[in-house]
Amino acid sequence: MFTLPIMIEQAVNGLVLGSMYALVATGLTLIWGTMKMLNFAHGEFYMLGGFGTYFGLMILGLPPWLVVPIAVFLIFIIAFILEKSIISPLMGKPGWDISTVVATLGAGIFLQNFAFKFWGGDFLNVPYMFDGVLRIWGMAFAWHRLYILALTLVVIITFWQIVKRTRFGLALRATAQDNEAAILMGIPFRRIYTITFGLSASLAALAGSALAPIFSVNPWMGMVPLIKALIVVILGGLGSFTGAILGGFILGLCESFSVLFLSSGWKDLISFSLLIIILVIKPSGLFGAKEW
Amino acid sequence: MDPMPARKLLLRLRVANPATLWGTFALLALLPLLIHNDYYLNILTICLIYAALASTWNLMVGYAGILSFGHQAFYGLGAYFSAIITIHLGVSPWLGLPLGGLFAALLSLAIGIPCLRLRIAPYIAIATLAFSEILLVICKNWVSLTRGEMGLSGIPPLTSFRLGDFLTLNFGSGSKVPNYYVMLGIYILAMLAMYWLMNSKVGLALKSLREDQDAAASLGVDITRYKLIAFLISSFFAGVTGAFYAHYLSILTPESVFSVGEMVEVVAITLVGGIGTFLGPTLGAFTLIVGLELLRGLEDYRFMIYGAMLVIVVLLLPNGLLMGFHRSVTRIKGLLQFGKTK
Repeated sequence: MFTLPIMIEQAVNGLVLGSMYALVATGLTLIWGTMKMLNFAHGEFYMLGGFGTYFGLMILGLPPWLVVPIAVFLIFIIAFILEKSIISPLMGKPGWDISTVVATLGAGIFLQNFAFKFWGGDFLNVPYMFDGVLRIWGMAFAWHRLYILALTLVVIITFWQIVKRTRFGLALRATAQDNEAAILMGIPFRRIYTITFGLSASLAALAGSALAPIFSVNPWMGMVPLIKALIVVILGGLGSFTGAILGGFILGLCESFSVLFLSSGWKDLISFSLLIIILVIKPSGLFGAKEW
Repeated sequence: MDPMPARKLLLRLRVANPATLWGTFALLALLPLLIHNDYYLNILTICLIYAALASTWNLMVGYAGILSFGHQAFYGLGAYFSAIITIHLGVSPWLGLPLGGLFAALLSLAIGIPCLRLRIAPYIAIATLAFSEILLVICKNWVSLTRGEMGLSGIPPLTSFRLGDFLTLNFGSGSKVPNYYVMLGIYILAMLAMYWLMNSKVGLALKSLREDQDAAASLGVDITRYKLIAFLISSFFAGVTGAFYAHYLSILTPESVFSVGEMVEVVAITLVGGIGTFLGPTLGAFTLIVGLELLRGLEDYRFMIYGAMLVIVVLLLPNGLLMGFHRSVTRIKGLLQFGKTK
């Protein structure tokens, strides 16, 4: 049971799962870092990414290399509009830390039931974007899973470069560090908020798009990634970029290996118990970094 | 005449005055005399269940500053404990109500104590959410005790008793009125306990905690102890409410009590009503639950509109309905006075 090939296959599965957690959690931590709010509609952007991919591939019959960017871009626009219309008016007003929670919860409920009403509650299957399997040393890896891993790495590195190298990244980091000082430096923080929200949603949408073939598409598919991503951001330290990525992969690997000795019903205990243990031992999270 | 500044209103409203409180109780007690329809009474009972849940959550968050996202855990613990001891041990459901509450309060310490060490609100939110998700997993998988996802059925209703010579109170499935009054009793007890708490030394300490933890601690306020008291009272009454729910519906599934959806409902109710206001959660419960029933005719559009309404309410009244209501009353009063002086 614990032979090396099985272990490696489980590790790859864990990394695939982990890349979903990392992408969704990065979006959450990005919003927390800059805007100091939790976005409860985040899982719905993941869901929209899944549906976008389904429609592009199955209904319109477009090739994957066209579908993924279009879907992600559309969701960026949706998130952009959502931030402008419902988050931005609340920001900075008394009680914004709580009113944004209700606003995002409400938007999430709306989007879920919009999807349910117009696209139905069926579990929709999406084919792998890359057929076939890679065989090495008697192990088999579906190309699509490797594509997810590669995509996540590319996105994370690109994102890291944007944050570290560009003017936008500088403005983002400044706003995250000290909002008022950033305003004094003439950084248009409202615009930063809106773009950050859009980028964060795009990351979730990308994860939903890439994982649509592995988990089927339905209106409630965003729930689990949202809860898992919340766990990941706490594990990694809220607001920490590295923490979200490493935390995502750690949780993915833990869950994947737990399947070897736990029945699937009990599998979720791992992540939740891990979280509480970490919080008891080290309340600031594994990587407790406040800056990124 | 200027309308009263919002800040002053906020301070004045934190604890309701006794007249408003007793007036609300009286109004709720009179409702079954006006409404005879079983269907409506059922909805009103559900309103009271959520009013009690949201008010106890409000105590934890609005007054003690513990942003818990695991309130459904205490609700579910009370429900399952009372259901199981009445089914398997033959305990009277009347005893099940307080015992369910005590069990919930006892287990709440398991998450309450580690949480009190955490200072950042989202950490507490996620830790408490994780606690309730753990309970959901256990509840789904411990089939020999909870029957898992099939759920418990045939939970005995509250046993009937004779009142005087000719009045017997039944609590079976057909009798909505007695059940309504039992839930009202639980709700009133919870509200009075919280009212007493807020007007005692503990309440003053809690208020100082919410304003500034460090300042309060430096003045010698024992943060941990007062937070724990609020936590225990809150989880106890959430547990009692859960126990009532189990005996009222007589069926119980893990998802019906432990799901995140229940928590979302409680959060929405409290925030729409007005967090940190004493009667806000009650107003929110009646508005949202009755509102959701009114939308029933819209079928699939119902929850879409519900979600959109949450957004609209929060955009128009960021401090909740109760605050918005009070502000417009003051504004109208101001306008009337202005008219008089002219």
